[in-house]
Amino acid sequence: MLSGDQAVIELRQVHKQYAPDIVALEEVDLSISKGEFVFLTGPSGAGKSTFLRMLYKAEEPTKGTIIIDGVDLSSLSKSQIPQLRRKVGVIFQDFKLLYNKTVFENVALSLEVLGLKKSQLDNRVRQVVEGVGLSGKLHRKAVQLSGGEQQRVAIARAVVNRPPIILADEPTGNLDRKRTMEVVALMEELNARGATIIFATHDDALFKNTHRRVLKLKDGKIEEV
Amino acid sequence: MPLGIIFKRALRDIRQNLVTHIMTTIVVALTCLVFIFFCVFSINLQRVADRFGKELAIVVYLKKDLSHEKIPSLYQRILTLEGIENVKFVSSEEAFNRLENYFKDEKEILEGVDPLFLPPSFEIQINRAVYNPGRVISIANEISKWKEVEKVQYGKEWVDRLESFSKAVRVAVIASAILLLVMAAFVVSNTIKLTVYARQDEIEIMRLVGATNGFIQGPFLMASFFQGISGSLAALIAGFFCYEYVVNIISQSGLIRSLNLQFLPPSYMLVIVLVSGFFCMAGTAMALRRFLKL
Repeated sequence: MLSGDQAVIELRQVHKQYAPDIVALEEVDLSISKGEFVFLTGPSGAGKSTFLRMLYKAEEPTKGTIIIDGVDLSSLSKSQIPQLRRKVGVIFQDFKLLYNKTVFENVALSLEVLGLKKSQLDNRVRQVVEGVGLSGKLHRKAVQLSGGEQQRVAIARAVVNRPPIILADEPTGNLDRKRTMEVVALMEELNARGATIIFATHDDALFKNTHRRVLKLKDGKIEEV
Repeated sequence: MPLGIIFKRALRDIRQNLVTHIMTTIVVALTCLVFIFFCVFSINLQRVADRFGKELAIVVYLKKDLSHEKIPSLYQRILTLEGIENVKFVSSEEAFNRLENYFKDEKEILEGVDPLFLPPSFEIQINRAVYNPGRVISIANEISKWKEVEKVQYGKEWVDRLESFSKAVRVAVIASAILLLVMAAFVVSNTIKLTVYARQDEIEIMRLVGATNGFIQGPFLMASFFQGISGSLAALIAGFFCYEYVVNIISQSGLIRSLNLQFLPPSYMLVIVLVSGFFCMAGTAMALRRFLKL
């Protein structure tokens, strides 16, 4: 574990229990440093998604403290949650796209919420969409795309506003090997630019020979592999 | 967030969910239309009561067998009473003429009727300056004691009846309007809820990418304000044409024509449009509360 001094994500005795006896996380202590790239693994149902959801305050821990970028999440008021979510880009396992909207509109949403006008966000959206290899499909509706393409739109939307933290929940689950490696490369590039990344996957091949930290979630506990 | 951006997003939302918006607007329009009918009915009923209230008069029906020579002396006697503004003698023939005029196109109803079957009468106008209900009653009571007089009818009696009827109708209208508004609130808020439910995924995604509640609510509220305004305007236009159509039919009758019926005054129309707009906004805000966990 890296030093807690530069920690951008910190969990102290975090416990998550679903009534009455399902324990998703059991008194977890964890620190992730600024600029770190961490793989989070574990079998399906181990609680990887729950862990990530707590980091952007879509779920509350039953006990314990979560600190993101120096801010204790329990101290945030409802009106402060959007500020947290602008700092944390999330790539959802089920994409969460607006299927009746175009690729451009989906990606632009993350910038629109910041109050940017179309003229201000146009270039940035085009660049990011090009970066995920979808520039030819900018004005296609999300529903017309393949699963892999939809996954890449979800990635583009999560990174377009250059968040310092990126949480990727099985971002390669629907992709073939070639696209999977492209996504990993894209994440590495974002990491090289300074983003802290937690990459949740159950695909062992992705971190087999990595020098990155790998955290394994099992029976509610996190252990380093 | 600037109003311009909210406005643009609201327009985009309307364009992308046009059918839902049209359905909601129709529900709003129908609700407003029923309310407008109640208002028009109530306002015109009040006008009828006011108009007849201004024509206060005592009608003194004379005995049919009264000789003509006694009319001038009776006339003078009435004039000596305090508070009399004007006295007019209406002979049996004139009364019959008036009845004929009243029926106009249906004059044939009176065919074969004796023109003298109506009693002669005096119509007494009370001086408005000294008018009070008690005075009318005392004049009517005094005249009714005269042996030449068959019956005294004073207008206030039926104006009072009309007024109490009008009051009862107004209470019924207000009660129905309240009931209707509650029903409308239920129907409109449920229609709005359905549109919000249909877009709950979109709302959730916006929240997850860091949208503030204002960012999410703004276009919804603006679009529902448009719905309220356009629905009520459509209802006013439809209501006006229905009113014109009905008035054209019933104004064949001279009596109805003389009442000068009217549609809603501009101030009422403005209030209906604005209230409808804000009402829809409030309904949407309530429907959104659940999704925004306010």
